[in-house]
Amino acid sequence: MTTGMDKQSGAPPGDKALLPSGLRDQLAPFAEFEAETVSKLMAAFARFGYDRVTPPLMEFEETLLSGTGKQNSPKMFRVMDPDTQRVLGLRSDMTVQIARMAATRMQDIARPLRLSYAGNVVRVRGSQVRPTRQFIQAGVEIIGCDSLAAELEVICLAVEALVDAGVVDLTLDLTVAPLAGMVADSLGLDAAQREIAKKALDAKDVGALDVFGGTAKEILTAILLATGIAGAAMEKLEMLSLSGAAGQLVARLGMMVDALSTCLPKVKVTIDPGESHGFEYKSGIGFAVFAPGVRGELGRGGRYMARGNDGGEEPAAGFSIYLDSIIRALPIPSMPMKIFLPFDVSHQMSEKLRKKGYRTVQALTEVVDCRHEAQRLHCSHWFNSDKVEPV
Amino acid sequence: MKPTEKLILALPKGRILDEVLPLVNKAGIEPEADFFDPKSRKLQFATNIGGLDIIRVRAFDVATFVAFGAAHLGVVGNDVLMEYNYSDIYSPVDLQVGKCRLSLAVPKEIAGEQDPSSWSHVRVATKYPNLTRKYYAERGVQAEVIKLNGAMELAPSLGLCRRIVDLVSTGSTLKANGLKEVEILTEISSKLIVNRPAFKTQPEEISGWIDRFKHAVPSQ
Repeated sequence: MTTGMDKQSGAPPGDKALLPSGLRDQLAPFAEFEAETVSKLMAAFARFGYDRVTPPLMEFEETLLSGTGKQNSPKMFRVMDPDTQRVLGLRSDMTVQIARMAATRMQDIARPLRLSYAGNVVRVRGSQVRPTRQFIQAGVEIIGCDSLAAELEVICLAVEALVDAGVVDLTLDLTVAPLAGMVADSLGLDAAQREIAKKALDAKDVGALDVFGGTAKEILTAILLATGIAGAAMEKLEMLSLSGAAGQLVARLGMMVDALSTCLPKVKVTIDPGESHGFEYKSGIGFAVFAPGVRGELGRGGRYMARGNDGGEEPAAGFSIYLDSIIRALPIPSMPMKIFLPFDVSHQMSEKLRKKGYRTVQALTEVVDCRHEAQRLHCSHWFNSDKVEPV
Repeated sequence: MKPTEKLILALPKGRILDEVLPLVNKAGIEPEADFFDPKSRKLQFATNIGGLDIIRVRAFDVATFVAFGAAHLGVVGNDVLMEYNYSDIYSPVDLQVGKCRLSLAVPKEIAGEQDPSSWSHVRVATKYPNLTRKYYAERGVQAEVIKLNGAMELAPSLGLCRRIVDLVSTGSTLKANGLKEVEILTEISSKLIVNRPAFKTQPEEISGWIDRFKHAVPSQ
């Protein structure tokens, strides 16, 4: 039999310990910290009146790929259902499932429908910068309301939840993904020109817009340069006096910037009207949350059209965060305080300590040096003749 | 990743550095003396700007440092950007230096027989496997790529494979090795690149540097 002591100098674990790339074991204190962070986020969502729902881990492939799920096809793991012989997909994004639930089982429930969710998602491959293939996604959706107030609520909720979870110095970046397309329509650009414009806007490459002449160059350049701190950038964008759908979208963005300066005066807000990359399915204002020193964004969301059961669409807004990103923005958790209880401590006493909120580690055999044993078992304290003492 | 107080500018080692440095100076950045000392073992250099350091790394690594946010700004050719296709990089300024092209070259004896538009398959040696595969895939040609890290020109003469995809500036290296350029995959110049999250979280500072570099580039 192997005893605890022997394991300290065990052989290297070898390839039994090897996991597929992008997958990992979470040990203490991280596993608990992640779960706690999820609870904090979910509690914040609940405070805003969002009801938690939990869809299954896998569903029929075509359901997961409908509507905004289309883009997930190359990311999705698939298995064959031996029962129905149909292909099942493992979810790579929970928002599609929430939209499905809203459109089917919950179609008769009064709108606006406020739902929250948290769960693991898996992907066939990670990105170069973020190779993780399994992570927890948490978020909210508000379905059946197209007013600006809905987007504002989602943004305020996102910020409140992240601040609650302990993220500091948040930056909020607002986008209007459909704007470039609307402007391209009004300028009458062809498919090839649109592609050039999109690439230039995505790369923030002003020089690449030189191929356009006159008004097109002027407007696209102005949109590209109207990025940064919301106040100044918004002025630049409004100076363009865009008309039609583009004008309305800019006006809506302006109202959002004003509303945010009242609701969240401490949060730094930037706008990036030329950005569409990653916001392809947003039908209006989109947003991403950043924190200094964290690679990539903490979460993103915005307005989109949720596919209805009858093929129709319902206006919706939502927000989702990946837990592995948030964890990187938070201080490294410390090990919790644990008290080592020698073998002879009574059950009543240990119960009393637990009720006080202590975590107890009961000795299972007599040991001579309890303090040393407490250290060996990574306890922060030990119970020494009726007193809790640090080790 | 730890948050760094300082901004880091990643510059590529080698040939391009000499062309880029005047622009860096014009943008108001003077590296410390060690930067110019070939004997110095330093990898990170202070500048006249308190909040800005320079690192000097291989061109391919500039993109990686910036994509991961380890460097906030960088200078790199669009050959490297296209090869990696990182999504979290902006390339706001074409610095108009390091100009060359990425081309397909073959031994000059067979150059006349080449009609790339009729190919279904091509076997090439290159430093740019992803870019090459993607370029030919878009044209319906399957590219079988042999990855080399340098001295591509040797591959055809020693029978490794007949075709190479490599950077060409004057064409004299190709000529000296009996090769002829038959197709241009893309034109190349160096870009100022920016890490996307850095741009979002420090918009004033980063935009300030973008503007300085923009003005440092001589107008056409």
